[in-house]
Amino acid sequence: MWLSSIAYYFFYPSFFIPVIFPGLIFILIALLFTIWAERKFAAKVQMRFGPFYASKRLGGFLQLVADMIKFAFSEIIVPREVNKTLFILGPILITGFSLVPISVIPISSIPQTGSILSPYYGVFHDTYSSLSLFSAVLTPYSLALAIALTSVVSVLVILTAWVTNNRFAMISGIREGYLSVSYDALITISIIGIALEFHSLDISKIVTAGIPGIIANPLAAIVFLIGMLMGSSRFPFDITEADSELVTGPYTEYSGLLFVMTMAGSYILNFAYSLIFADVFLGGWTPLTGFPGALLTVVKAMIVLLLSVFMRSVYGRYRIDQALRGSWKYVFPAALASVILGLVVGPWIR
Amino acid sequence: MKGVGVKVESSNRLSVEVNDKSILVNVANELKGKGFDHVKSITGIDFPETRTIQLVYHISSYSDPELAKVILSLKVSVSYDEPEVESLYRVWPSVWTPERETYEDLGVIFRGHPDLRRIFLPEDFEGVYPLRKDFKVKTEGLFVDKRA
Amino acid sequence: MTSGLEGMLSGTGMEVEVVPVEGELNVGPQHPGSGHMRILVKLNGDIIEDVDLDVGYVHRSVEKLSENRNYIHLIPLVERPAILDSIHMNLGYVMAVEKILGVDVPPRAQYLRSFAAEVNRIASHLYGMGILAVFMGHSTGFMWGFGDREVWVEILQALTGARVTNSYIIPGGVRRDLSPAIKEMTEKGITYMRRKLEDWQKIFINNPNIKARMQGVGVMKREDAIRWGAVGPNLRASGVYYDVRKMEPYAAYDKLDFEVPVYKEGDAYARTLVRIEEIEQSMKMLEQILKEIPEGNILSDRFFRQIPPVRLKKWWEGQRRIVMPGYYASFRPPKGEAVSRVEAGRGELLYYVVSDGSSKPYRLRMITPSYRLIYVFKELAKGCRYADLVTVYGSLDYFPPEADR
Repeated sequence: MWLSSIAYYFFYPSFFIPVIFPGLIFILIALLFTIWAERKFAAKVQMRFGPFYASKRLGGFLQLVADMIKFAFSEIIVPREVNKTLFILGPILITGFSLVPISVIPISSIPQTGSILSPYYGVFHDTYSSLSLFSAVLTPYSLALAIALTSVVSVLVILTAWVTNNRFAMISGIREGYLSVSYDALITISIIGIALEFHSLDISKIVTAGIPGIIANPLAAIVFLIGMLMGSSRFPFDITEADSELVTGPYTEYSGLLFVMTMAGSYILNFAYSLIFADVFLGGWTPLTGFPGALLTVVKAMIVLLLSVFMRSVYGRYRIDQALRGSWKYVFPAALASVILGLVVGPWIR
Repeated sequence: MKGVGVKVESSNRLSVEVNDKSILVNVANELKGKGFDHVKSITGIDFPETRTIQLVYHISSYSDPELAKVILSLKVSVSYDEPEVESLYRVWPSVWTPERETYEDLGVIFRGHPDLRRIFLPEDFEGVYPLRKDFKVKTEGLFVDKRA
Repeated sequence: MTSGLEGMLSGTGMEVEVVPVEGELNVGPQHPGSGHMRILVKLNGDIIEDVDLDVGYVHRSVEKLSENRNYIHLIPLVERPAILDSIHMNLGYVMAVEKILGVDVPPRAQYLRSFAAEVNRIASHLYGMGILAVFMGHSTGFMWGFGDREVWVEILQALTGARVTNSYIIPGGVRRDLSPAIKEMTEKGITYMRRKLEDWQKIFINNPNIKARMQGVGVMKREDAIRWGAVGPNLRASGVYYDVRKMEPYAAYDKLDFEVPVYKEGDAYARTLVRIEEIEQSMKMLEQILKEIPEGNILSDRFFRQIPPVRLKKWWEGQRRIVMPGYYASFRPPKGEAVSRVEAGRGELLYYVVSDGSSKPYRLRMITPSYRLIYVFKELAKGCRYADLVTVYGSLDYFPPEADR
């Protein structure tokens, strides 16, 4: 009997989603899996093995666990002439703010009976879309809130670069500042196009409209994908952390656990973006509901994440002025065109 | 031309010896007019017995296909008491690196070079010219390990 | 930064020395993209105004050390500056010594010298392209460059006994002979490399990202290339037809049929294309050498006669290897001087040996191609953006230990 009350509190969405699935614990495992997959894909392309010896039968997956343990126990060196509080807070804030958007994105819908999540049907009922949503924070403006929260991270990256007090970090902070203006504009405008098309800012209404966004507005999908690659520093837009020109960019002076958090922060941001992509453009949790629906959404998000991580094996790195020129000259008009497309197609989607 | 001696050594090696170092720039301009357009290297050879340093410029041509087969050595001598010579940077900009290296290794000062500093040696070689013969490199003897 | 902001921030530990719009950046020796040297960059915003190269971190003073060693002892010393390209360093020095001694080289040895030189040229170009790829963030190009280089380095190991710094060429000839296993390895290597070059085209050369990074970057006009003294593929990419193998043929190059690729644009992309074509031409030359190599001895008779017959029977008849004849122990060449040049992987390599009749050279001067590119690098980087610094560096194929010697 008390088991069922523990189960009630355990599966309560506001606890379950941010902490267990797809929140903190799942993300840490998925992060290891993603980095392992990135190294294995790159190795397959580059005629070598990748992680191999650590656990031969698992294909070297435990190598990543070993790497994380090594980093977690390395010494954290704080330079003498920096503001110590902000120096340590920087990576923590980056990782924290990358995790926050996940709590406003609905992962699945709760059916009235028959699922492990049914006890919460009344609590998480969204009157706007007349559905019950498996989401940590229930709000009818989930799309706008998610996009707004993900755009805070770039300001925190500039803060990290500034507090490092190093010339190379300053140059990369300036580059991140330039880039963040462009990719935020692209993402915001493509989302505006989608919102106008589906007549709502509520992700659940977009998912249950019947058409996945990628078919209804493919221009917005492409623009969002490019903006996502820019925002999470995936190749070919690896410009802030350009290895061969600026030694690791804003994270030059970090070591140990703080360094792991910065690396993790960029992958977590990528995961947050791919959750939004999976819900809005790929149809989210339909046709399943309940817990299997959540699994389906997360699987779709992981596929998008693995796709953006695969780019490492194919592309080099763009120069900052080429990336800016490309995004303002070619992708920005496409974003505006996607808004117009959304307005035109909108009346058919009711 | 007065003050130069020309010697042909083989089918594509010539040497021009300049006896008076003040006409070096004129000889260089003459050669440039004939089609020699870059300097491959400057070698400074130290002769401690006669207290002179002989500078050998190896010059050739990129644009003229006949002269491209030829390497011409332009030789000029400076003495220890007055180790200065006019820089050929205005004639051939490709002497920028070799002149700096000859300055730091042998102490020959090239007047008119835009940036005459040490290039390869570290800071504690100021005033010491390693490529002169009086700078001895300490060599170790040959050790034979009896147990091996 | 306004003074109001400074006033607000003072005392909080956040007064950073913000780099002003014009500042100096020290891309120093401890940097992933600088190699073994320090590049002092004067930046104005994102545009480079001046570059001061602080070379000399790997200066081993080969020229001073050469006054204390015999001529034969110098062979391993002279080939170490550019270990990837050591056959050419070796070849140039030995050609200069042979001119002073007046020794003839048998034709089979000339062909073997060309064989080793061309294999080494392919390995050196693949290394250069790997470094260029990693400077631009393209890790696949880096791994492929080094992986494909293994094929050629294995051939050199089978032929000479060492992967790099082979010490293969001695005055009078070479040290080891070809065997049918090496011929087969080379033929398999050539088929593999031809297939792999098509993959290189798809992923690196025709990659729009890489093309955007390299086209129009570091443009060197023809007059500038001649004036600054550029060498090698950099010169040929600017429209100057100049290759030592055609101008002053050495080894077996006057009997081989090959072309020299010349491009007009002079930017980083043209330099990379020249290198890719040179790999193809080298493979063509290797096929010709394997078909046309004449029979004969591999060491000149003047030295071959001096090997004692007991050792000859053991090494020569058994394994076709040369042991050093007694003459090499410390020979005294006649008085004289010689200038010799070869076309190494990165450009033209010049040796000037002055002998005064003793067993040690009086002066050895070694001008490597990267030495002559120091000035070219300095002039080319002016006016580029900061991210183009490493592109110019990689496309010139500048190798710091070779420049410092």
